[in-house]
Amino acid sequence: MKILVAVKRVPDPNATIKVRPDGTGIVTDNLKYVVNPFCEIAIEEALRIKENHGGAEVVLVSVGEQVCQEQLRTGLAMGADRAILVLQDGDVEPVIVARALAKLVEQEQPDIVMLGKQAIDDDSNVVGQMLAEMLGWGQGTFASEVKLSEDKSSAVVTREVDGGLEDVEMPLPAIITADLRLNEPRYASLPGIMKARKKELKEIPLGDLGIDQSVQVKVHKLSPPPERQAGKKVETVQELVDLLHTEAKVI
Amino acid sequence: MISFEPTEDQQLVRDTVASFASNQIRPIARDADESGQIPDSVVQQAWELGLIQSAIPEEHGGYGGDRSAVTSALVCEELGYGDLSIAMHVLAPRLVTYPVLELGSDELRKEVLPDYCGEKFVPGTAAVMEPSMGFDLNDLQATATRSNGSYKLSGAKCYVPLGSEARHAVVYAREGDGTAAFVVKTDSPGFEVAEREKIMGLKGLATYEVMLNDCTVPASARLDGDLKPIFNRSRIALASLAVGVARAAFEYARDYAKDRKAFGVPIAQKQAIAFMLAEMAIEIDSTRLLTWEAAWKLDRGEDATREACLAKNYAAEMVLKVTDNAVQVLGGHGYIRDHMVELWLRNGRGFAMFEGLALA
Repeated sequence: MKILVAVKRVPDPNATIKVRPDGTGIVTDNLKYVVNPFCEIAIEEALRIKENHGGAEVVLVSVGEQVCQEQLRTGLAMGADRAILVLQDGDVEPVIVARALAKLVEQEQPDIVMLGKQAIDDDSNVVGQMLAEMLGWGQGTFASEVKLSEDKSSAVVTREVDGGLEDVEMPLPAIITADLRLNEPRYASLPGIMKARKKELKEIPLGDLGIDQSVQVKVHKLSPPPERQAGKKVETVQELVDLLHTEAKVI
Repeated sequence: MISFEPTEDQQLVRDTVASFASNQIRPIARDADESGQIPDSVVQQAWELGLIQSAIPEEHGGYGGDRSAVTSALVCEELGYGDLSIAMHVLAPRLVTYPVLELGSDELRKEVLPDYCGEKFVPGTAAVMEPSMGFDLNDLQATATRSNGSYKLSGAKCYVPLGSEARHAVVYAREGDGTAAFVVKTDSPGFEVAEREKIMGLKGLATYEVMLNDCTVPASARLDGDLKPIFNRSRIALASLAVGVARAAFEYARDYAKDRKAFGVPIAQKQAIAFMLAEMAIEIDSTRLLTWEAAWKLDRGEDATREACLAKNYAAEMVLKVTDNAVQVLGGHGYIRDHMVELWLRNGRGFAMFEGLALA
């Protein structure tokens, strides 16, 4: 069994993000980068499948700049077997990432492609879905539980949907995207970090994959969310109720 | 000539330990202080990070990882940032494994090290400090005397972390004019553990007085060689832990000052507070640099006694000043147990007295 896991390098979710004054991006000086938390959950799930179903090869893939290898190393230190870095400078839009992954799926022939449900930087939440469409595979998105059949020919994915849970069953190979409650990712251990150095990390320039790289989305401007307005003080309960009724229109 | 860039591995180790300290250690630090207990689950999780096993050579069951003092300094700072009691608890086995690795005979390494490579946390400890006036590592009151191919240890020790549960203790004692160290099985006759100590800080860490009543150990238990690098390594570990404690207090006070308003502005904008915070940051960073220099020198195999002593002494003063200022920044709130700063002040006070209590 082989599991391909997509890994994205994103700014630390605990960092304070500042938008550049000209709106072309965010201020990246001194910014710490981490593995996208949902990707981390995807890696963990792949490792658990490997451990609980008699072994599997877990292959990490990232699309981005050279520095993305830091995040791939983190995943290798957690226990993944090898990694592929598709090199491309600058932002890579989701559809191109999906095409790159589809190409790699062709080469690697995995049984499952695990992804985070979305990256916490651009929150696109589309790569998994687009990839499923490109490959014509079944997809279990927003997974909060993944169960493989005994013979590993199909998977039941429990999805977190509005107001409840939905179980979907699909034959493998399939696409699964991880939601927050799927698992709690392990820490890389020191021995794991030592072993990670010896694991294969292959680099492929995006251009070598021979995929359509035409840009379809252009980011015009980033702007910070408006500052929260100060609250209002009221004198009486009646006034509060009136305002909730007439101004906030919540009652 | 100078580079402060950690290697890729060091960066990964630091990130891992930092995240563990923030997410697993810090949230239970107050509870550990109040209850005097550290949950086994967290100790076990820390064990699984491989902080102890990774440095032990493969032939003894470990992973043969690097033993760099710089890496240790990075690890200690992050653990100390999480909580000092828990940091010292989870690092306690190093008090045995590190000296045995460095100075133990082949026989001793074979006997002791595999014990510390298993799946489960195994406590180890060191008996260094003594309840006498003018404690001095080079002039200990506990004695080791040789007779018939074995050694007899006598004297009193205090601040022995995990004394009652440790499998081995490295006992430091005077032999002739110098100091020698012995790896003692804690079930040896004459190794008597007294009551748990009641101390001002480090309340989560169980420390004990230990009496050595003619405790007899085989000659092979004696560590062979210069103890100076071990003491220096311990000074670096303590200094780094102190930097971690101080950084925790500083960040807490800084965030509080940005949030807390007085006279219409956050108090961080008042010079009385802003200068204090700046001073704290300077002190912390200076101590870290002193410590890194000592660690770097030790890693080069040079005598780092001077640098390690400067770092440890400065760290002891620094952490007291910084944690005290943190309490001050919080004003009345700083004195209340609802906030962590009083705990860090109590823990930080100990560094002026600790010797040999941590190794990493």
